[in-house]
Amino acid sequence: MLNQVQNDKRLVQKKESIMKLLKLSERLGLVSYRNQAKSEIKPHIRVDTDICNSVCPHKCTTYVCPANCYTMDDDGKVHFQVEDCIECGTCMYACDQGAVDWNYPDPETGRGVNWNFG
Amino acid sequence: MDEKFDCIIVGAGIAGLAAAMILARNNMKFLLIEKGEFSGAKNVSGGVLWGSDLAKLVPEYWKEEDGGWERFINHRRLTFMDDQSTFSIDFKSSHFNETPYSGVVVLRSKFDRWLANKVQEAIDNSDFAIESFIATNIKVDEVLMENDKAVGIRTGEEEFHADSVIIAEGVNNLLTRQVGLQDDYVPADHLLTGIKEVIRFDQKVLEDRFQLNGLSGMSNEFLGYATDGVEGGGFLYTNRDTVSLGLVAGIKDMREKQKSPHDILNHFKSHPVVQDMIRGGEAVEYSAHVVSSGDKRVMPKELYKDGLLLCGESANLLMNAGKAIQGMDYAMRSGILGAETIVKAKDRGDYSARTMREYKQALADSYVMKDINNFQDAVHMLHSPQMFKEVPNLICDFGRKFFTIDNEPTKKSRELLSESIKEHSSYWDLMKLGFKGAKSL
Repeated sequence: MLNQVQNDKRLVQKKESIMKLLKLSERLGLVSYRNQAKSEIKPHIRVDTDICNSVCPHKCTTYVCPANCYTMDDDGKVHFQVEDCIECGTCMYACDQGAVDWNYPDPETGRGVNWNFG
Repeated sequence: MDEKFDCIIVGAGIAGLAAAMILARNNMKFLLIEKGEFSGAKNVSGGVLWGSDLAKLVPEYWKEEDGGWERFINHRRLTFMDDQSTFSIDFKSSHFNETPYSGVVVLRSKFDRWLANKVQEAIDNSDFAIESFIATNIKVDEVLMENDKAVGIRTGEEEFHADSVIIAEGVNNLLTRQVGLQDDYVPADHLLTGIKEVIRFDQKVLEDRFQLNGLSGMSNEFLGYATDGVEGGGFLYTNRDTVSLGLVAGIKDMREKQKSPHDILNHFKSHPVVQDMIRGGEAVEYSAHVVSSGDKRVMPKELYKDGLLLCGESANLLMNAGKAIQGMDYAMRSGILGAETIVKAKDRGDYSARTMREYKQALADSYVMKDINNFQDAVHMLHSPQMFKEVPNLICDFGRKFFTIDNEPTKKSRELLSESIKEHSSYWDLMKLGFKGAKSL
């Protein structure tokens, strides 16, 4: 009897085709960006990573950014790239060290998003 | 362009579009500027547009075959969750099937674009059909001030002049800061990151799974496991053939707890009950945007200046007091009230702070500021740590005990509740919270 229950349980678990959890790179692959054909874009956010890498006690942008624009290398140094930015604004508030100079991207020369659903 | 406008509106989101509609109807000459390729191109929401103000802007919008909205809400659910269980307050009523609807789910890229077309129609029917317009793809770099009075805007090298400026730029309010109404640095304390996936289904599957009928829809908010111990909550809204599944997470709390919003979203998505809701779906967009919490402490110092008004989330007009996340309806109402003030100012020939102040008064007299003022305690309570951890765990633990039938003598509910409370919290903590709750709601 108990075996029967366990078997049923296994069957039920097998039946579930769970929705795949996406990696961040896959998620960002779903985002439409502007001016993607341009090789040179004008960054709309400037980050003084000297501040991140000298005085910042938390380096939080490396984990709070939903687009992973801030990364930490093996030596614990913070690097910033603007290309994947989805203009959410999180880093502008999260950084309490004055390292983030945030702006909106220029429609012609910047990157930034173009939501399909929004 | 050397001709002066009555008003320049910065931002063609819901606040800016609502303001533009009122200006067009009152035959004002205005310029509505949007940095995106079209209205809605840069906007993200959960999201439900609550209330019936939309019917004021677009009468009988529900009669349109393919309007800009997704589904009307007639089914509400508030869910507490622990790692295995969910315990929901569920309310569905055909009362909500009646028009005007009291809430419609929207996807901003579609909704704002649709509303912008309606505004364009209103412009076409106004006295300034040629002179008023919606200009997209333009980023405003600066609000031009003369003797602390707004006189226009600058974009790149170009300047446009007007008797008044409405800032409707959204929560990341750089111009609001530039004119001195908000500090240059706004700390993370009362701001959250909203993050979501739009997940597509076969429409029939979606309708059967969520018991949708025609264009009816469901809104579901989640407290507890959804945010992995971080301040905030989850949401699921049904669109036509997609669901918007996401959450809001406090930025300061993520910073302190070293959590990533995209990890939290996967944590939420992996919950067994959520898995059952999204089974077979395919993610078609991932998005994120900052939102305000509704805590008044984040709001700008003032809502106006000579010749200038703040509408929508530029003024951090958004609140989640437990019943619903309201932001788009606040944007719409504040845009309407702002534009009405500009119309008055033109009639009087007085765009000074004396007239602009009437906008602040109108907003204070409206449900927007009344609710924000009345529900500050609820906002504080909802954002207190117990609400996204102990309370949902306790409720689910009680639910599990209550609904378990195991051929043993059944304990009385009171006893079960008392066990759950001891396990997950204390009477003293709950009394404090209950007292706060009773006061706030």
